[in-house]
Amino acid sequence: MNAPTPIESSQAASDAKGARGAIAWTEIRAPARLVLTNEFGLILLIAIFGAIFALGTPGFGSQFNLFTLGRTTAIDIMIGFSMMVVIVTGGLNLSVGAIGVCAAMAMGWLLERVGLPVPLSIAGALALGGALGAVNGALIVRSGLHSFIITLATMSVFFGVMVFISRAQAFRNLPPEISAFGRMRIEGYVSPLLIVSIVVGLGLMALYRLTPLGRDMLAAGAKVAAAELSGVRVGRIFVICHILSGILAGIAAIMVVARTGAAIPSMAGDLGQDWLLPAFLGPVLGGTALAGGRVSVLGAFLGSVLVSELTNGLLQYRIGEFWVQTWLGLLLLLAVLMDLARRSLLARMGSLTR
Amino acid sequence: MTAALSRFLRTDWFGPLAIIVAASIGISVFDPSFLSPFNIQILLLAASVNCVIAMSQMVIIAIGQMNLAIGAIGGLSAICFAGLMQVWGFPPVLAAAAGLAIGVAAGLINGYLIARTGISAFIITLASLSIFKGADLGITRAQPFYGIPASVKAFGNTTIIGAVPWLALPAALVVAGMWYLLYRQRIGRYILAVGGNANAAELSGVSIARTVISAHAISGFLAALAGIMLVARLQLGQPSIGDDWLILSFAAPVIGGAALSGGHVSVFGTLFGVVIVAIITQALVIFRIDPYFVEVVLGLLILWAVGVNRLREVKFQNLASTA
Amino acid sequence: MLSLEARGIQKAFPGVLALQDVTLTMRGGSIHALLGENGAGKSTLIKIITGVYRPDDGELRLNGEAVRFEGPRDAIAAGVGVVHQERNLIPRFSVGENILLERLGGGLLRPIDYDAIHAEARRWLEVLELDLDPRTPVSQLNVAKVQLVEIAKALSLRSRVLLLDEPTASLTPQEAEVLFRLLRKLRDEGASLLFVSHKLEEVQQICDEVTVLRDGRNACPSRPMAGLGRQDLVRLMIGRNEQIPDWAPSDHSHAETMLALKNVSTVLGHAKIDLTVRQGEIVGLYGLVGAGRTELAKCILGLYPLTVGEIEIAGRPERIASVADAIHRCGIGYISEDRKQEGLILAHTVLENAGITVWRKLAGRFGLLRDEAVRAHVSPVIAQLEVRTPSLAQIVGNLSGGNQQKISVAKWLAAGVRILIVDEPSVGIDIKTKAYIHELLRHLADQGTAILLITSDMPEMITVADRIVVMDDYRIKGELENSRRYSEMSEGIMALIHARDAA
Repeated sequence: MNAPTPIESSQAASDAKGARGAIAWTEIRAPARLVLTNEFGLILLIAIFGAIFALGTPGFGSQFNLFTLGRTTAIDIMIGFSMMVVIVTGGLNLSVGAIGVCAAMAMGWLLERVGLPVPLSIAGALALGGALGAVNGALIVRSGLHSFIITLATMSVFFGVMVFISRAQAFRNLPPEISAFGRMRIEGYVSPLLIVSIVVGLGLMALYRLTPLGRDMLAAGAKVAAAELSGVRVGRIFVICHILSGILAGIAAIMVVARTGAAIPSMAGDLGQDWLLPAFLGPVLGGTALAGGRVSVLGAFLGSVLVSELTNGLLQYRIGEFWVQTWLGLLLLLAVLMDLARRSLLARMGSLTR
Repeated sequence: MTAALSRFLRTDWFGPLAIIVAASIGISVFDPSFLSPFNIQILLLAASVNCVIAMSQMVIIAIGQMNLAIGAIGGLSAICFAGLMQVWGFPPVLAAAAGLAIGVAAGLINGYLIARTGISAFIITLASLSIFKGADLGITRAQPFYGIPASVKAFGNTTIIGAVPWLALPAALVVAGMWYLLYRQRIGRYILAVGGNANAAELSGVSIARTVISAHAISGFLAALAGIMLVARLQLGQPSIGDDWLILSFAAPVIGGAALSGGHVSVFGTLFGVVIVAIITQALVIFRIDPYFVEVVLGLLILWAVGVNRLREVKFQNLASTA
Repeated sequence: MLSLEARGIQKAFPGVLALQDVTLTMRGGSIHALLGENGAGKSTLIKIITGVYRPDDGELRLNGEAVRFEGPRDAIAAGVGVVHQERNLIPRFSVGENILLERLGGGLLRPIDYDAIHAEARRWLEVLELDLDPRTPVSQLNVAKVQLVEIAKALSLRSRVLLLDEPTASLTPQEAEVLFRLLRKLRDEGASLLFVSHKLEEVQQICDEVTVLRDGRNACPSRPMAGLGRQDLVRLMIGRNEQIPDWAPSDHSHAETMLALKNVSTVLGHAKIDLTVRQGEIVGLYGLVGAGRTELAKCILGLYPLTVGEIEIAGRPERIASVADAIHRCGIGYISEDRKQEGLILAHTVLENAGITVWRKLAGRFGLLRDEAVRAHVSPVIAQLEVRTPSLAQIVGNLSGGNQQKISVAKWLAAGVRILIVDEPSVGIDIKTKAYIHELLRHLADQGTAILLITSDMPEMITVADRIVVMDDYRIKGELENSRRYSEMSEGIMALIHARDAA
């Protein structure tokens, strides 16, 4: 049989009439199905690399390293979630870093200059994150333009205004509870930041599986026109997704502040663009399609864990810290290629997987 | 007269040109030194490099994609250019050729991956952005190359005649070349065809893969050229070259009327978009507005420009459906 | 004269055998019909003949010599041209550049000579008697002109074999006549034409020979059209006789009016629309392509605003602010004509598609909703519609067209709508499912749903509707009670469409 050309593969789905002669996904026995899922593959990789690094380097398995790793992972997971909720609806949010930094700086200002207690300052920061997300959402829905260019522009505007207002000065005199939270260790290994990420992850899983809102998001992300004509308020859904994205970005930024002990404008790089790679790596590795309509919260979680683990491990091996970014880029490439291969294998078996 | 005027109004470049003229007149009223030869030279120096950056993204917008790796490719080519001269004593022309070759190679890799795997350009160029940026940092260990030959430094900072700097020459050649490519050459028409309706182009026998690869190769070449030009102007090989190219690379083509869905760009519109950005940056300095505000202005400009383009596109579609 | 033969063609895709041992023989100087239901394999066969696909088995022969096409370019070079169902021109390029897209010329140092290109294009436009400036951007042309430009393009490639896939789908009867005159002229000059269409009347009018496909195989070998009547063709296509149900006309004048449009004008250009649909009634809205019927449906749904007049639901004037409003508050459902983009989410499961209208209603305490609740609500509906699917977790995109259509109906049944707008329900559906859908609509109406049926299929309209409203150019042209006598009704409808507006 000839290998299908790109035209053929894309047309096949529309030409094919039913699953005549094909194996349905449901006909595959459950254990085999589990093995073929993306999540299982990630768990396997995490375990394998964990073993390699623990055995191969003196520092990886130490209590201190695992604690630090857990803390960094928690932040990457949140950044990934913040992008994931937008990818699910078929869009992009390039401004996650910028919104995060704005939220963190707002918290710093509320704590240091205004003197609000910690819970209120955090609430204020998250409110700002949500508000900036709402701006994104409203612009995208009103203009009908692609979220790429809108969030490219707002990334610039948000960051620029923040730098202008703050005069690029960091807030370093924060209440000690903040950095204490960042340094806290549970049972010596686990950072409370990781607990926060896990709880948020569980909340997101509940959102998509158990609430009408989450189902509406998946429907709107898969096919906007069909969802709208079925009564889904797609405009409102997109705005809500961006608000959620802003809040999650805010949480991630607050975690960074807890870890470093200060609110620094350059925490996410210029315009917040340092967050872009981790923001995409986690969800994409985890199987959340860029086209929208499918989500795997667990996958995004595991994807971020794998990325953090690999970064940490490579640094343990003294692979030059400058080259880490290259490795991560290669990893992203590898991940999407493998996902492509996996999905065309499953398509040949007769049905698309979830 | 009115027929000719309405034809001008409908082009992509007329609006931006009008803005340039109005802004120049307006600013020079406040500050007459704005139109001085010295100031014009500064404007042209900034615009020359930015022009090549914008053209690099423009050719990818034409094909209906986006290239996030432009800065990384430019940066990598720049430090290779500087490094070859400083560390291995390459003559500037040879080092520049090597730098350009690197840019083309990077573009070819991007184009090949996108064409053959069908994975979105966004993800592929996000990955290659990281790969090339990492290589940039890895090679330089975050330290700039200072050993730039005097001839190169002169090229980047002196003038040919009057206020026109040497750097404007490659920029002008690029503009002319892009115009010729997109409007008088088959490969350029195919790039616009694939961006306009890839399926239709393919059924007419146009090879989408070859067109995509060519577009990315051109984009990589131009990014590398911009990087090399920037080394000449900055007089050192900075690893951070390219870090701030992303917003600008989109702002100018969009101000110039490009359709992000592909199939429609304006070479002169993009050029005038670059000039507008340069003027605004200058104006911020003249009016003593915080330089941090540049980012904000660029972002707002993009929002305004895409909004306007969107309105024009909606009108364009309405025209088609009622015909 | 060029003859083309496809012999013993086999083509499979992952999970589907599209064509099996299919043979098609086209003689030079003839118009050959290719018939078959959607899914029979016509599109795949065309794509093989035009080089887009390669056959797994079998061969193509031109004038007796075996040929092998590696891509569309080879087919074009061999003289095979095609005008596809979808429009395939570059919108921002000029007519001339589109026609000559493969042959723009110019080398590295030689610019493209646009004057020569437009002059050459003009020649081909003149062959088609098209008075069009080749420099016009394609985006400024209407659908009919675009189609004719595509034909000019196929001719300019010196195609001696020309394939036309549903060429009259977007043409008015007058435009179709112009096209037929042209096709006859080309045939008389020796070209070999393949005509693919669902409209059996047209096929019988213009085609000399016919091949029928069914389920990926030949239902009949390539043969002359002489001696085959409509019933014969239908029998070949579906394997049995077409059954036109015989429903007695029913009287609904005493039923409650569920949907009423009073003197409605919309932003899309409708004016003075008066329309009522009563409980239990099926009102057919007939019109040609471009009459504005789908657009009217979308206005009723709340997608576009009214400028004048009002809409009454069950006797109460309502301002419908959005689609969600129309569906959840007013109980209006809409089955779209574009099933794949607007009616269904092909990547999602049966359960997700059928349940999309009722999630919010089914949510329990704390606003939570479990799959079991949706399944309990939706399963009976799926079973009632006899949807053939291995399970509710099956991806809808993998089901047949007929089953997909049933699911797009299922979600409205599950939602319990009072008013249902059905837009071209039988496009791309096999005849058996089509009959089933008609029965279903009748059944729904009998249970009290008010149904507005939009269709351009005259037989379907006359079979199903109680009352027929005729629409043209965004205005209502008139109304007829359906006597169910075919020739009487079709004449009445056409008369209304062509009637001049009373000033």
